[in-house]
Amino acid sequence: MNGSTTTKTPVEPARPAVTSPAATARQKTAPAGDTPAISVSKLVKHYGDMVALDHFDLEIGQGEIFGLLGPNGSGKTTAINCILALLAYDAGTIRVFGEPMTPTSYALKRRIGLVPQNVAVFNELTVEENIDYFCSLYVPKKTERTPLVEEAIAFAGLGEFRRFRPGKLSGGLLRRLNIACGVAHKPDLIFFDEPTVAVDPQSRNAILEGIERLNADGATVVYTSHYMEEVEQICDRILIMDHGRHLALGTADELKSMIDTGEHITVETLDLDDAALAAVRALGFVIESSYDGRELHVRCRRGEHNLVDLLAVLHDAGANVGHLTSRPPTLNDVFLELTGKALRD
Amino acid sequence: MWATFVMTIKTNLRNRPALFWLIVFPLALATLFNGVLGGLKDGYELQALPLAVVEDANWSKSAGARTFIEALSGKTTQTTTDGGAGGTDMRIGASVTTLVRARYVDTQAQARSALADGSAKGYLRVDDDGGIMLTLSASAVESMSGSMASDSNGAITVGALNGAIDLYNRAGAAVRDLIAEHPQAAESRAFWASVGDVTGMTREVSLTNFAPNATARYFYALLAMACLMAMGYSISAVTSAQANLSALGIRRTVAPVSRPCQLIAGFLASWLCSAVSLTIALAYIRYVCDVPLGGREPLAVLAVAVASFMACAFGTMIGAIPGLRHSVKTGLTSAIPCALSLFSGLYGQLAMELSDWITRHTPILALANPAQQVTNLFYDILYYDDYRPFATTCGVLIAMSLVFLTAGVAMLKEQRHEHL
Repeated sequence: MNGSTTTKTPVEPARPAVTSPAATARQKTAPAGDTPAISVSKLVKHYGDMVALDHFDLEIGQGEIFGLLGPNGSGKTTAINCILALLAYDAGTIRVFGEPMTPTSYALKRRIGLVPQNVAVFNELTVEENIDYFCSLYVPKKTERTPLVEEAIAFAGLGEFRRFRPGKLSGGLLRRLNIACGVAHKPDLIFFDEPTVAVDPQSRNAILEGIERLNADGATVVYTSHYMEEVEQICDRILIMDHGRHLALGTADELKSMIDTGEHITVETLDLDDAALAAVRALGFVIESSYDGRELHVRCRRGEHNLVDLLAVLHDAGANVGHLTSRPPTLNDVFLELTGKALRD
Repeated sequence: MWATFVMTIKTNLRNRPALFWLIVFPLALATLFNGVLGGLKDGYELQALPLAVVEDANWSKSAGARTFIEALSGKTTQTTTDGGAGGTDMRIGASVTTLVRARYVDTQAQARSALADGSAKGYLRVDDDGGIMLTLSASAVESMSGSMASDSNGAITVGALNGAIDLYNRAGAAVRDLIAEHPQAAESRAFWASVGDVTGMTREVSLTNFAPNATARYFYALLAMACLMAMGYSISAVTSAQANLSALGIRRTVAPVSRPCQLIAGFLASWLCSAVSLTIALAYIRYVCDVPLGGREPLAVLAVAVASFMACAFGTMIGAIPGLRHSVKTGLTSAIPCALSLFSGLYGQLAMELSDWITRHTPILALANPAQQVTNLFYDILYYDDYRPFATTCGVLIAMSLVFLTAGVAMLKEQRHEHL
């Protein structure tokens, strides 16, 4: 996080009703009339002279899976920590389920679950004891808690590891335990902070499926990640932020439609000369291109005939074309165009 | 709060490094001390001194001296009223401790030879006035002198022997003077009976609650070090509850349980665990190593409770320091006790002398040293007749605890995890 202000103009589209495929499939939206799960207005947070959050706004409807996307230091975690009343802030308002969130808002805290980025469990306790302890902070009565703990163990697929201590678990199982500890009390609002970092693909899929199941059971999910594919896969709406500011908000498709980039074309060709490359760059839809002697990469504006026109130029230049791919824009392209840098920079 | 209390106890009991430092380490060190310092304890007991006894003409004339020396040698316990050469007789009680291992020689020259060849540390002879004279060899004097005396039990025995001989000689001189002034007294049986009756003149008194034990202080210093190491429990309890110090702290701070509740539960559980582990060490030292507690064992358990409370308060303060990693704080749980134990005398005679020097010359430093105060706590139990010194030391430790807790709470109140 740095204190400089971006020179880019944030894209502030009219907030559309959530109509992403994922949201439609779950038959859930964020109805304007409902009390938002989270409502953040003009939040300002400084660390000394550095501005971490700069009049940050956010509204998340109940039942959504909401993605918070941004590079390291963009203010994601600061925003979450302010919402969770872990951090004091300088200005703005935060409401959770319509109520002001403070460090002593215990009634609200009972409805919130957190899965922190770092695995936060006791190494001296077994899987079952860890889940039971964290659940006990929300559900003191043992009789009420026991079925919740069993359910969380089953949810995380940790049944055969219940007597294991964390030191005996693999990275993926540890992440699952981390999640089980955060969701055992069946919260209405769950924050997942990079839950799939350093996790193998199999465990990652299990985690993502689990998050979708929690959401299907009625939980609102706030999900932060560096992995755009994950965000795109499970989130109903996505907020892109940088330098503590809200840059763009919408479904994945809406975000992609906000940018100029239409597609990326990659052409395998070994005999492209300077004249041919100049001809490619002269094409009106080409935003940028590069050639490494083996592959030609072209980022194109939106257009119906980009690929055909590009192949025609290559044909006229006498270039032999081998393998050819065209891929639609990604959230990284969105981020690149909005901020001038890649999401993982 | 109860859940956090139980959880903290479970994590403490399963924390193997902590169990090692708090239970295994003190027991191992106490066992080592017991083996190494066993000889030191013997060095403070009366042991019969090998002495040559010159059986010359004076000796033959003084039946009283013969009876006296034989009694000190454990050979006889008879009562005599023989005036003897010196005109004095001593009635020796039946339970006299053997102070002399007598080797009888005919002349003073033979006695000196015995000193020269090392078979005797000194010799006894009767002078012309009937008084008993003790002469020690130069090597014996050297080995019994100074703070670094190698033969401390010999020095104690010589002290006792010297006192007894002095008493014998003074009584003899007094009798001679009395008879010179009142010759008729020599005719009185009652007079001789009263002269021999010295039991009322000397009696053994104890200046302390319990007989001094040279090794006890080392064990008490060991208990103090183990006690301070227990602060690791409360360091972990604070770290795992603070959002700016650990991921666990973040998770627990988000939960609907107040931070003070979680910290208090962690503190109480840490206190219980450290008190139990210290009690185990205390029991081992008392009953296996046979280190005395002056018959005040229940008070020693109270001392453990006070000492471990202070250690947990100290740990709370260390745990609350922002900007220090948990591993550094854990390292401090070893470094601080080891350093402070140097000044409480744990590391041998020089450390003991340093500790005493600090207590005499800069008492404020001794007062501020938790290890010294915990050592004093047990010392007070063993030696002082009344409970005031113990209560005072308890007060010092409780005051220390309050300072530590105040500093810890102040730091915790100031902290929000701004670095996140």
